[in-house]
Amino acid sequence: MMSGVITFYSSQQVMKAEKILKKYNYEELLIPGPREISPNCGVAICFDYNKAEEIKELFKKEKILYENIYYYPEAKKISKWF
Amino acid sequence: MKENIVYFDNSATSWPKPKEVLESIKYFIDEIGGSPGRSGHRMSIEASRLVEETREVIGEFFNYDDTSRIVFTKNITEALNVCIFSLLKPGDHVITSSIEHNSVMRPLRFLEKKGLDISTIYCSPKGDINVSDIEKNINNNTKLVILTHASNVLGTILPIEKVAEITYKYKIPFVIDCAQTAGSIPVNINLKKYKNCIITFTGHKSMLGPTGTGGMCIGEDVELMPIIFGGTGSKSDKDIQPDFLPDYLESGTLNVMGLAGLKAAVSYLLKIGLNNIRNHEKLLLSKFIEGASEIKNVIIYGSKDPETQVGLISFNFKNINSSTAGLILDKKYSIMCRIGLHCNPNAHKVIGTFPEGTIRFSFSYFNSLEEINYSINALNEMSKIK
Repeated sequence: MMSGVITFYSSQQVMKAEKILKKYNYEELLIPGPREISPNCGVAICFDYNKAEEIKELFKKEKILYENIYYYPEAKKISKWF
Repeated sequence: MKENIVYFDNSATSWPKPKEVLESIKYFIDEIGGSPGRSGHRMSIEASRLVEETREVIGEFFNYDDTSRIVFTKNITEALNVCIFSLLKPGDHVITSSIEHNSVMRPLRFLEKKGLDISTIYCSPKGDINVSDIEKNINNNTKLVILTHASNVLGTILPIEKVAEITYKYKIPFVIDCAQTAGSIPVNINLKKYKNCIITFTGHKSMLGPTGTGGMCIGEDVELMPIIFGGTGSKSDKDIQPDFLPDYLESGTLNVMGLAGLKAAVSYLLKIGLNNIRNHEKLLLSKFIEGASEIKNVIIYGSKDPETQVGLISFNFKNINSSTAGLILDKKYSIMCRIGLHCNPNAHKVIGTFPEGTIRFSFSYFNSLEEINYSINALNEMSKIK
């Protein structure tokens, strides 16, 4: 279940990240960036927080620049909708 | 009206475009519509995806996978201006050639008035430069070498690969103006190795895309500065420009409609293959040179060697001036071409055609041998005008 959110500085990096997550079959959903967490890029990516460490490694390997990764309980509500 | 047109003005703007270009633009307008990198809804996200896919296609085309360092501008003039104003300040030294387009020369002359030192490498009337002249002119103050990849008046291809090596050795940024080459011949600069280089390109000429598109692929060792500041959709909590690429250099909403067209155009180039395009344009050029060389009263400029020239050529009549020739070609023969100085007074001074200029024919993948033969007949008839 989705329980985390990744924030980015640039939407360009979101697009790169989304592509990589899809390629490796990670559960992901692009959402409007949660204002309470980050005022940066307009879009963020919800994901399963249990996979946070794996994804950090993956992003490092694929040179994806992200702002931060957060535990985001709100994502569970989102999960119920999609 | 389009039926009988012979379009030989592809170096100004190419026509026609592959049908996929219009389809892609239409798809964006009808189905995607949103603002890239701004809002979080699906139409906005889809626009962001389209922009990134365009970067990927451009990256594949120029063999550069660092899409963050592929920046879009409204045309190559803007890209060249960003490079020039980023890299040069009063007191610096720049090396360029004597056949540069005004998109390079005008910003350089502007800065010269403020104390920029310009070395202009001599270019022969055939369009050649001596690469060693570049190395000889490098000094401690040299902050930029900027050259056209191929002259827009003569078509001559300059040895940018050798210049990349020299400038890499001296750690000097090298900006390449690929206005007349990208989409016509390969740009063989490995930016992963030559990190001091910047490839600048425009979408609407040989790349077969729409006007209003262009950009640059920036090697990792070169740092540029914006000439336009503003909204980027990122770091919106700050009123200072974000410092990461591509956002740093892409303020204001991008021309997504144009980029949709550019993506389709470059995909088309990749599908056809640059070798096939080059071979076709070379064939057209060699047949034109062959035919036109035999016409009394026609003077052809440049190397007259299709191997060292992109698919464009300058010529004049001895019996009529270039403006009259342009008018007759249009009105009587429906041949579209460009006459005059082609925004490049310097190249015309080199070949001795300043200020009258020349007639320029520039071919594309969509021109045919039949059109070349038709134009040779037209030139033959025109050469007899008294």
